[in-house]
Amino acid sequence: MANSGQSNNFNRVQMLLLFLALTAAIATGLAIFSSVSKMFVLIQEATAGLFLPLLLSLVATFLLNPIIDVIEREKIGRSTCIFIIYSLLALVFIAVFSWLLPHGQGMWQSLQEDLPRYTARLIELSKSVQGYLHEHLPFLDNYNLSARVRTMAELLVADILVATPKSALRIGSIFLLLPLFTFFFLRDGEQILRRCIALAPNRHFEMVHDLVSLIGRQTAHFIRGRIIEAFIVGVVVAIGLSFTDIRYTLLLGVFAGVTNLVPYIGPIIGMIPGLLIALVDLGLGPQFWWILIVYFPIAQVIVDNFILIPILISRVSNLHPLLVIVAIVMGGKLYGVLGMIIAVPVVSAIKIAIIEIHHYRRTFTLPDVIEPDRPA
Amino acid sequence: MNPLWSNIFRRREEDSLSWFLKTVPVFAELKGRELAVVESLVHSRRYKEGEIVFEEGDPGSGMYVIRSGGVRIFIREKNGRESELAVLGPGDFFGETTLTAPALRTASVRVQENSELIGLFRADLLETVRKHPMVASKVLMGVTRIVSERLQAAGQEIRRLKAALETAVREN
Repeated sequence: MANSGQSNNFNRVQMLLLFLALTAAIATGLAIFSSVSKMFVLIQEATAGLFLPLLLSLVATFLLNPIIDVIEREKIGRSTCIFIIYSLLALVFIAVFSWLLPHGQGMWQSLQEDLPRYTARLIELSKSVQGYLHEHLPFLDNYNLSARVRTMAELLVADILVATPKSALRIGSIFLLLPLFTFFFLRDGEQILRRCIALAPNRHFEMVHDLVSLIGRQTAHFIRGRIIEAFIVGVVVAIGLSFTDIRYTLLLGVFAGVTNLVPYIGPIIGMIPGLLIALVDLGLGPQFWWILIVYFPIAQVIVDNFILIPILISRVSNLHPLLVIVAIVMGGKLYGVLGMIIAVPVVSAIKIAIIEIHHYRRTFTLPDVIEPDRPA
Repeated sequence: MNPLWSNIFRRREEDSLSWFLKTVPVFAELKGRELAVVESLVHSRRYKEGEIVFEEGDPGSGMYVIRSGGVRIFIREKNGRESELAVLGPGDFFGETTLTAPALRTASVRVQENSELIGLFRADLLETVRKHPMVASKVLMGVTRIVSERLQAAGQEIRRLKAALETAVREN
């Protein structure tokens, strides 16, 4: 009995030790976890404002790099080239702003008055749709479409009216950071990349170097193509709309261009405000049909699909529609509207990287020259 | 001594990378400013004794110049033995055939002592064709000259071997 008691005692000590050890382990684990997650939160907070300027300046670097390379060929220093480009860009910006400020003020005010009008019309439309639905599908009786559209529209209007001045402030900080980042990316980007590649171990250095340059070239080409494509589509839409009496031609062009960055869904969303404004202001006349033609057959089918995409964008970066939708949803979850716009290009860039790696390996395994029948 | 002077003359010109590059036949035609471009183009890598630079069958994308140390070029035979093709020292270069056209390495290279190798790769050269066409064409001329010299030597060697083979066949 004593024996068992002793073992029991022993067990109790053991249990106590085990308990202590477990507590310590759990406490350590929790501490590590909380400190790590705290670190992540800190890193996230610290870099939150950097994401957008960094991304935009990368895009700007991709766009400006070829121009600077061309100027640099005339035996002008790289920094000087960048300064030349910057001064030209500054002139363009000053010109645009001096035009935009008086016009923009008026436009903003009329937009503030007009937006509720457009949404009211949208709600009216949804009401008639609901009436039609009730007539033909009576079981949808308790689904209040017009109320739903109304809340959505009200949210949207409030968002635009309140968030635009607010985001103007954020744009101010971007205006400060963007030129700075872009300057250093343009001037030292290559050196930075070289330093990073130089970290690769000797045995893999050659492959890493080759792949990085291949992927870099393809990605730059793709981003450049996308931006130029969006710009041209925007210009075509703006010019096409300017033949009609529709207002906000420039804004609608910009909107169509930006949304054009998102494949499949973007162009459809891009034409909604234009069609809505046309419907409200101009009615269902020939001008409305002309606007529809500008948006769809001219800008999308002829200019974009038949001319721009074959010239600017390689087929390599084509994404499956399913992947596009998944990317847009995930991008929207992460970074809102901006995330939706950049998600597809980012996924395309990843796809380009994967394809290049695959292609690289295949290219070098095809010719079977390593194992000729050597006399042993 | 004035520290300023010693600072200016601390690096002798013969020690600089561009001075070294000038001694390599591939870059022989380049002048001061162009050599500086090449200097920003190449990658200087340090290898420890016994380290493999590349293996037979690796995808090749450029050439290496030996700045210091030495390498051994060999091929692996079927029974795993290494048969030596050449031993190279400072100033020698290898792998130049893959600089312009992507191909697999046809031999393996191992560093024999602690060495510094200067790598010049196709991707960088392609970039230079866009940015400094003059420099790129001179480098490419240098590479072409060396490759064609070797091709001619190889052709002569083949002819000599063929003749030797024919006489051997006739004698038997």
